[in-house]
Amino acid sequence: MFRTILRRELQETLSSSTLIFAVVVLTILVLLSAYIQARYYRRMVEDYTLRQNIHQVENSGRAIVLIRPLPPLLPFFNGVYDSLPDEFRLQSDSVITNPLSGDLTPLDWLFPKIDLSFIIGVLMTLLTILLAHDTIVVDREHGTLKLILSGPVQRRVVLAAKLTGVILLMTIILVYVVLLYTTVVKVFSGGTVDLSVANLSALAVSSLVALLVFVAIAALGVAISASSRRSFVSLSLCASIWMVAVLVWPSLGPYIASSFKTVSTLEAAQRDIALKERELIQAELAEQRKTAADLKAQNVGVESAWRQYLELRRRWMERRNVEIGRLVEERKRQIRDQHFFARLILAFSPYVAFKEALGSLCGTGLESYDEFHAAVERYGQQEFLPASFDLLSRQKPWLNAAKPDDRVLLRPLQAPSPTFSERLAAAAWPLGVLIAEIIILLTVGVIGFERYDVRRSHASPGKVSLRS
Amino acid sequence: MTDGLNNLSKMLYLRQSAMAWGAPRTWLIAKKEIMANIRNFKIPVALVAMTLLFLLSTRLLAIDYGHRLDNWSVNQASQRDSVIGSNVKYDLSDGDFFHRAGIGRNPPIQRPQPFSALIKGMDGEMDRTVSVSQRIVFGARQDEPATSALFDTPDTSFVIKLLVSLFALMFSLDTVAREKEVGTLRAMLAQPIRRRDLILYKSLGASISLLAPFAIAYASEIIYLRLAHGLLNSREDLIRALLIFSLGALYGIVFVHIGIFISAITSRTKTAVTTALLTWATIVLLLPNATVLMAKLLTPTPSYNQLNARLYEARRQILQEGGETKPTTRPAPEQPVSGRALLRLFEVERQLTDNYLASKKDQNSRAKLFAALSPAGALTFGLSDLAGTGVGAYNSYLELFRSGRDALLDALKRRLDLPSQTGDKLVQEAREMIATRQRRAEPLGASLRSSIIPITSLFAWAAIFGLAAHWRFKRYDVR
Repeated sequence: MFRTILRRELQETLSSSTLIFAVVVLTILVLLSAYIQARYYRRMVEDYTLRQNIHQVENSGRAIVLIRPLPPLLPFFNGVYDSLPDEFRLQSDSVITNPLSGDLTPLDWLFPKIDLSFIIGVLMTLLTILLAHDTIVVDREHGTLKLILSGPVQRRVVLAAKLTGVILLMTIILVYVVLLYTTVVKVFSGGTVDLSVANLSALAVSSLVALLVFVAIAALGVAISASSRRSFVSLSLCASIWMVAVLVWPSLGPYIASSFKTVSTLEAAQRDIALKERELIQAELAEQRKTAADLKAQNVGVESAWRQYLELRRRWMERRNVEIGRLVEERKRQIRDQHFFARLILAFSPYVAFKEALGSLCGTGLESYDEFHAAVERYGQQEFLPASFDLLSRQKPWLNAAKPDDRVLLRPLQAPSPTFSERLAAAAWPLGVLIAEIIILLTVGVIGFERYDVRRSHASPGKVSLRS
Repeated sequence: MTDGLNNLSKMLYLRQSAMAWGAPRTWLIAKKEIMANIRNFKIPVALVAMTLLFLLSTRLLAIDYGHRLDNWSVNQASQRDSVIGSNVKYDLSDGDFFHRAGIGRNPPIQRPQPFSALIKGMDGEMDRTVSVSQRIVFGARQDEPATSALFDTPDTSFVIKLLVSLFALMFSLDTVAREKEVGTLRAMLAQPIRRRDLILYKSLGASISLLAPFAIAYASEIIYLRLAHGLLNSREDLIRALLIFSLGALYGIVFVHIGIFISAITSRTKTAVTTALLTWATIVLLLPNATVLMAKLLTPTPSYNQLNARLYEARRQILQEGGETKPTTRPAPEQPVSGRALLRLFEVERQLTDNYLASKKDQNSRAKLFAALSPAGALTFGLSDLAGTGVGAYNSYLELFRSGRDALLDALKRRLDLPSQTGDKLVQEAREMIATRQRRAEPLGASLRSSIIPITSLFAWAAIFGLAAHWRFKRYDVR
């Protein structure tokens, strides 16, 4: 019986024009966006090597520039990578790691870039809800549901068969879309996209997450379909919920979070830091002047004076690290709070959960950025500042070497590259939310369907329409 | 008693004669549509949904604007913070060395536009520190609400784009398909009414059903902005707000016509609704993005890093010619290079930067042109133009830096031929002038001019779908 219902469901959907239209549109869009993303990624890779070359020449003991490595799966999911700085400058006399500059991307403000996550999360979820909303309610409207239920069949089986029909179809389309997208990206990226085993498995897991999203949406559609009497009501309800969950709420959420959990503005924070730094510099300068005068009065030799100076400098550097580090940390905490709040209020939308999971899996999410930033700061404290200080202490400026060599040899920055299981663990929260949603929706669907009374007569569709 | 009867018959007569007139009778069709929409709660639902979303979005965006304004004013205040830079000389008997320390300040940011509380457009992109000297250095974007980069900005333009179009379809889909299904269309067509009038008044009814709640919701949004946030107070602001409403209304009418067209080509309401949803997703979500992608594809622009690499290369070449062996990127005036060589360097840099900026402008205007191919794309560009946060404003933003840098370069050039004191004074003046310069809001005329293409496009779409619906409806066979 399960198979009969499933087969009928598939046959009906396959013959509908909705599906054909959707597949055609998806194909065109996948081709276009994958091509653009591939070219865009290729340019990013070229830029990356270019920048590395420039910075290698520029880097010195006084300042170095660190570039954030490109996430290998960027063309599949852009995430927040583009909108966050990807270069940081470490300076020997400052603790602030300000990003340098940014590309001008005015059009992205009006139209966010389309990537695989948009195609799956917006278009394919819409297709899912369109397929799922009428699975049961149409049978109910036409009276065929009574015929099905009069046979020796459990209601749960009917529900499962209908749900499987939708999910099976979406799985086929998903596989098609992902394969097409991957092929186009691979072909047009000129070998810059590295499809190693780890990346491919991340991609496969992302597709599985996408499938979970479809299951959640299909469960929503079936639940509504099983609980409503008219297909029109079911459709309007499904479409409105889809719109709120996929389009409206994800856009509003971050702004709501930022209005509730305010973070001091960037300029204000930077000004606070600059004021603090100014104060410290003034104090240091005063002490340096005093020491210089003292040393001169004591008639100390230049070499021992240089040692004393270095000691003084080190002390001030440490103090600066501590005091300014505190300010930086405070703001970071505010931002973390805000982000956590945004996550909390956005949790119920499967689209957001999907993007969160993808961000963790592809390394384009906020966490990956935070990790990199933390790594940069650690590197500054543990590698660059000691090395730069070491370089300074070996110099003998009073010998008046025309231009001291200010090149430092540093161990390259080890950008955090989480293993596959770590990435998966980071995606646990959105995955958990998705699974919880699926369970709840399925329960609602089963209950709604169980409550359907076969014997209660329903108005025929004709009557219904005349009445309104 | 007879008086009463007389009155009654008189009224009936008057009514009949009014019915015999074409206009009031066809007006009844529109009225019927509107009444039906009120009775089945569509208009109240639309009113509540739009009002809520408009108010919520504008509240959030107003808070966001306030935040950005704070950011800007702190930046302005910090421009007056002193720059510290000092040396301590360790002067000892057998040698000396220096301790140097200093701290500068952030380059200025341009003031955010008040209209970005309504339509953010490209205004967020202009929240950058930009330092203008011989070179223009664009700082990184200021931070925005976490994860907001993943989704559209929820401004009024977004709400209009999604909701007005969806409600327009909701009001117009029923008009023909449902009457066909139920059979009342035949009865109606059996009356002496021209089909043209019928479809005209049906679309009128649907448009009024849509525009009335839209107008109320939008008005409450504007009132809220004025009362609670003190924005949009001037006359010009109100004209802009009105123009934004008109463009939104035009966009709504385009979708009313699309809805009637779909309604006329389908025979069942359910098919009509599914088709409409798919069409809606294609027009509102896909086409604008796809057309902008096409524009980007056809107008590739170098990235900022590529520009920097080119600048770096140019600098290396010129400095090497000037006898400098070790290329560095430290501020050029530190280099022991002749003034003429420096000027040549600045000239080359100017050329490269200008090309970069010009390519960005090209891309923007091409994207705008392509986006006019879809109603939603035209709406997005048109609204941001009318609000003064669009492509036109962005271009003048870039122009501001360009002209500032040119003024400075000019002063530097003239300094070479002047006695050093007057020359330095000249350069100093130029520096001060560009340091404090803030862009002015785009004048209304310029906004209007730059929104001509989107407006024309929306009119064209409304006409095309209106005619298509009319044509399809004429071919409907009653029998």
